[in-house]
Amino acid sequence: MPEPNDTHSKGNIVMVTDGGSIPDPREWRLINAWSIALVGAVCALFALCLLWPEPYLRILLYLPDGVLITFKITVMSICCAVPLGLLTGLGRISRNRVINLMASTYVEVVRGIPLLVQLFYIYYALSRFFQVSGITSAVIAISVCYGAYMGEVFRAGIMAISKGQSEAARSLGLNRFQTMFYVVLPQAWRTILPPVGNECIAMLKDTSLVSIMAVPDIMQRARSFVGTTYLYFETYTVIALIYLIITLVLSKCVSIMESRLNYYDGK
Amino acid sequence: MFRGVTLALLALLMLTLFGCQAIAAEKYTVASDCTWPPMEMLNAQKQPEGYSTDYIRAVAKAAGFEVDVRNIAWDGIFGGVATGKYDIVASSTTITPERQKQFDFSDPYYEVVQAVVLPAGTNIKSLADLKGKKVGGQIGTTGIFVMRKADVGADLKEYDDVGLAIQDMVGGRLDAVICDSPVAMFYVNKKADYAGKLNLSFKTDDKEYYGFTVRKGRQDLVDKLNKGIRQVKESGLEAQLIEKWMGPSK
Repeated sequence: MPEPNDTHSKGNIVMVTDGGSIPDPREWRLINAWSIALVGAVCALFALCLLWPEPYLRILLYLPDGVLITFKITVMSICCAVPLGLLTGLGRISRNRVINLMASTYVEVVRGIPLLVQLFYIYYALSRFFQVSGITSAVIAISVCYGAYMGEVFRAGIMAISKGQSEAARSLGLNRFQTMFYVVLPQAWRTILPPVGNECIAMLKDTSLVSIMAVPDIMQRARSFVGTTYLYFETYTVIALIYLIITLVLSKCVSIMESRLNYYDGK
Repeated sequence: MFRGVTLALLALLMLTLFGCQAIAAEKYTVASDCTWPPMEMLNAQKQPEGYSTDYIRAVAKAAGFEVDVRNIAWDGIFGGVATGKYDIVASSTTITPERQKQFDFSDPYYEVVQAVVLPAGTNIKSLADLKGKKVGGQIGTTGIFVMRKADVGADLKEYDDVGLAIQDMVGGRLDAVICDSPVAMFYVNKKADYAGKLNLSFKTDDKEYYGFTVRKGRQDLVDKLNKGIRQVKESGLEAQLIEKWMGPSK
């Protein structure tokens, strides 16, 4: 039986992101921060809608298509950002000077520009050269932005795998490509998953920025509702609770995936 | 030594506080969303200017109080006046029954209709012609409300400010923009970058009236504003302001 914290301290990576905190998969107590937050948020939302259907239920019923758009943008961005992050991570540890420089420059440039500015840039500034819809711009901007952050996560995860593993693989006759994809990455994935999950949740929260491009996501639906009813407190309370419930559920999903991947560590 | 300095500082602080209070007694903070030319916009010195801005300054002068006009984003401008962050909203706010439930309004100070701007070379005859088209407007403005109410089956896009919507239409991602008639005329006739690119194609028949917005229950302020508005109208100052900002034709 290894130390409880063994897998987390692997490679001594300390990841600080603005994503929700992933619940520890080995947490067995019924009452913990995650369950208090989730039960509290769900109860609060239900109570508000039951006690004061006007306006809370009306607000809630106004939002579903916005939730759908938010999910659509998030899922599409994850599908683009994870491969981009993997490529960037591999590029950052590449021995090829040109590839390494390209990947590093990309990370430096993108991490230095706020996501909001990137969104404006792609949608309004670049519209001079090519035009894409609001949702496509959102997916491009978010993927490009988070690809850079995830690149760092992938790099750190790959570097954390002990050199002995790849040396052993190489001595068995695998080439560098096979070593990376059959030996190093499958192991690194376990270290990488929690921070990547965290980035995905942060991504979902950051989609609230896309309302500046007239994309009707949850946030824009809320603003549009407030624009007609002037119920600032009520609307933004509901919105905060919905975002909270979504991120809490997602962080639990990441936590479950993490515990599945850690299955063999428990033996 | 230290006591002397402390006392001096304290005295200075008191003086500033009293000084501020003396001024604050007659000074109201005014919020304008300066993205609505020529009604309210920012000049080269980043100061608010425009018809509504000049109008509220003239009203204040006539009714004997001072105003400090600040640029506040439209999205949230009503929340700020409801919580008392500022006293008056002078931002081309149409007096609507929904808004009157939550806020008090001064008497009307300007009359507008909704106008639909299209790219040059295109035309519509009624709102119904916008069926299936992408129509943009500023979030939470009466243009959006009119389109929703007409329910003609247009794809309505709500932007943070009307300038972004016009920009998006010139770029080709939107088919039409709906906004107040003076704003539409400004973009079509006065904005050099868009010269010849826009066409003010359609105006609604329903008239809307701008009023200054205050927090519910501030009848004292409404009275002061109404007194000022009456004087500005009677003194002929209003006609001058209209000529200054809308041009001599209207």
